[in-house]
Amino acid sequence: MSLVHRKGPARIDANLTPMIDMTFLLVVFFVVVSQISEIENVEMELPKPQPSASAPPPEETRSVLNVLPGEDGEAIGYRLNSINFPLGDQGIESMRTELTRLYRTQPDLRINLRADRRTRQKNIEPVFTAINRAAREADRKDPARVNLVVIVDRQAPDA
Amino acid sequence: MRRRITPARAGLNITPMIDVVFQLLIYFLVATNFALGEQVFRLDLPDRGGVSSNRDPFELDEEPLRIRVRSSGEDGQVIALSIEGPYPQPEDLEDLENYLARSLERSGSALFMDDHPVVIVPGPDTRWEHVVATFNAAVRAGFRSVVFAPPESS
Repeated sequence: MSLVHRKGPARIDANLTPMIDMTFLLVVFFVVVSQISEIENVEMELPKPQPSASAPPPEETRSVLNVLPGEDGEAIGYRLNSINFPLGDQGIESMRTELTRLYRTQPDLRINLRADRRTRQKNIEPVFTAINRAAREADRKDPARVNLVVIVDRQAPDA
Repeated sequence: MRRRITPARAGLNITPMIDVVFQLLIYFLVATNFALGEQVFRLDLPDRGGVSSNRDPFELDEEPLRIRVRSSGEDGQVIALSIEGPYPQPEDLEDLENYLARSLERSGSALFMDDHPVVIVPGPDTRWEHVVATFNAAVRAGFRSVVFAPPESS
């Protein structure tokens, strides 16, 4: 083999190894990242105000609080980061405890609130109450901060 | 004599090019799915804890502008808006936004300052999209202090 090569003309060889290396690395990276973002961003239809005065999400420490959508505007529970909480006083109470813990460790925390556009206010209101009480328990000086997450058309962005 | 000495052929190493092209391809494929066009409204929750210790006792409370929002119609698809008090009643969101924007105009006859508190009062069965749409209308009109009503009054 080596003798033949030495005599023949130089061949153009594409060395595939680095490409495969890189591709696999990228695949693994994106699989991991997409799993993380799926936990945070529950599939739902976010409200879509048109035209919207909303802004791109700021780069701050934030936690994501999802109101898990059920049938007909009802909710089936809440998810704070990756922890699920049931509906009702018990669930709200444990969520408040967790929020207080988060506020104590990250004083400038912002909470991204994601809720389906059909969800009724009675399922969302307890979240505000819980955040408020948690912020007070953690002795925050300034008011609790919430980001209401909406979706906008990227085709027609509004200034 | 037909054959001559073949000249050294220029070898083109395409590996780095393919590397970079694949990286770009995968990056754009993934990035387009990830950026869902999500944006946020920033909302500062007012302290609902009753007595606040660091309040100025000489400061007069400004009467907030309270906007009630309900979802009516079949399946709650229709938004119903009303402003509490002696104000013209808006028919739809656009109407509300126009009225709020007019009431802020710097013409000397402005009804409100832009830091005048606006309270959005949803009912228990109001859809979240209608609440957010009303919030959006107030923010677009130029109000800077828009909050949601505490539970006992909704």
